[in-house]
Amino acid sequence: MKFNLAALRPLWTGLLVVAALAVTGAAIRPFEEPAWQAVRAQQPALKLDSLQSALGQGITAGLLGGFRAIVADFFWIKTNSVWEDSDLPATQTFIKLVTAIDPRPLYFWQNGSRMIAYDMPNWRIIAAGGYEKTPQAEQRRIDEEQSAVALKYLNEAFGHHPDSPLLYVEIANVYLNRLKDKASAAEAYRKAALLPNAPYYAGRIYPELLRKLGRHAEAYAWLKQLYPTLPKDIDTAKGITEFQVQSAMAPVVLERIRELEKELNIPQIEVFKP
Amino acid sequence: MSTVSTPTSPSSSAVGMRTVPFSPGRLGIVAGNTFLEAVRQKLFNFLLLLAVALVASAQLFREFNFGSSELKFISDFGFGAMVFFGSTLTIAATAQLFFSEIENRTALTILAKPIWRTEFIFGKFLGVFAVVGVFCALTTLLLLALLYNRETALMAADSEAFEHGRIIQYGDLVLLGVLQWLKFGVLAAITLLIASFSNTNLYTVVMGFFVLVICHLQYLARDAYAQVASLPLRLLVRLLGYVFPNFQVFNLADQIGIGAGIDTGVFLRVAGYALIYIAVIGGLAVYSFRNREI
Repeated sequence: MKFNLAALRPLWTGLLVVAALAVTGAAIRPFEEPAWQAVRAQQPALKLDSLQSALGQGITAGLLGGFRAIVADFFWIKTNSVWEDSDLPATQTFIKLVTAIDPRPLYFWQNGSRMIAYDMPNWRIIAAGGYEKTPQAEQRRIDEEQSAVALKYLNEAFGHHPDSPLLYVEIANVYLNRLKDKASAAEAYRKAALLPNAPYYAGRIYPELLRKLGRHAEAYAWLKQLYPTLPKDIDTAKGITEFQVQSAMAPVVLERIRELEKELNIPQIEVFKP
Repeated sequence: MSTVSTPTSPSSSAVGMRTVPFSPGRLGIVAGNTFLEAVRQKLFNFLLLLAVALVASAQLFREFNFGSSELKFISDFGFGAMVFFGSTLTIAATAQLFFSEIENRTALTILAKPIWRTEFIFGKFLGVFAVVGVFCALTTLLLLALLYNRETALMAADSEAFEHGRIIQYGDLVLLGVLQWLKFGVLAAITLLIASFSNTNLYTVVMGFFVLVICHLQYLARDAYAQVASLPLRLLVRLLGYVFPNFQVFNLADQIGIGAGIDTGVFLRVAGYALIYIAVIGGLAVYSFRNREI
């Protein structure tokens, strides 16, 4: 039987095409890399460490493109619909689906975590017989379980919003309001306050929690550092608005510094001088 | 001019073509005919109308913008329509225009004349590229008008929110429209490459969509490369990362509507990246087509 070389031509052509594409890809990489890094730096969704999450994002970005915003919005309406019915499995599924489709808006992460941490324990306790019939220990267990789910969900959000102080605030609120864990809440508020564009209240709540934990010296040191950074007067040239001045509440911070000085018996010569 | 008797045999075609120089004029004629044929197609008009209607309706959907600002939502929605329908148009039109020549046997008539297969392939490419260019220009212009109109209305209603001027940088929208056009150019070249060895229109369209998805996920292969322990698998992943172009690099639309601008250096690099790929993949389509029996 004679070997027909011509029959191998399609295979040879295919291999040559793949090889040429691979060589081109390798040769063009140094040219493309700076642009890719610039694009990637502006899109947290493309920086995901989890391959599974990144794959989901790649597919939704590629197939839905800009439509992912509206698809996610429609699913958010659906989430609210099942939330009204206190349908726990459906609500939890839709919450995760919405942020899988479009993880960019912080709104979804914040409100989704609130549904998980604050509403779902209520539904579960009612389903278990109500607040009067369900033992306190069981209620506590439910709270802890739902808080753990919410905290895990919020930590996933950092993959998409690595520098968001509001996510730390949300975490702090879960620790404080659901788990009654002041130390963990204080730490989350501290992390929030240290980030750019953090709400001013994060920097005030952190030392208040430290005071409640009996860590007055730490609270005093923090407030002394905080006060000089706060805007005191409206300055249009520097872009300081009335809203910022009101939110910063510098007089309140100074008042707390004075309270702590009394509590810590700070000598007159060492008191904070604004 | 009668030196080429039959181009179906690569060797005879190559011998014949040595006497006929490459002609940009003939290339232009093929491109012009492809363009005319494409705009006469119902598919082009249908997809263009759908895209325009969808971009225009972005204003109606703005009440749904839970997570992002209204202008960002309109911009996302508009570019979403452009990317979705543009990709569909590019793949479907390229495959259809190529296979209409093969199935109607007009390719035989054309290639029996002294015309290079390079002129045929790049003529087809330029025709489709022009059609997609018209599509991108129309949708970008419509999006520009919509955003400008809405931003002006919002500025009048809430001047404090716009104390630093307009949020949307309209020049960037045009640059994004150009980048999407170039991306569709790479996609058209890929579809032509698939069509050059494929036997059916359907296979080309399906493969075109698969490659579109793979090109959007190419960056994952680049990331996964460092995490794979097995050497053969690692090399395979690296090869995949090189073989397919990275379509996520064109994804700059996320920056529109949040006050961020597009860096000119990045734009030029991405545009250059697309042009290099169009030239290389187009060349490979010609090579593959030259080895094809028609």
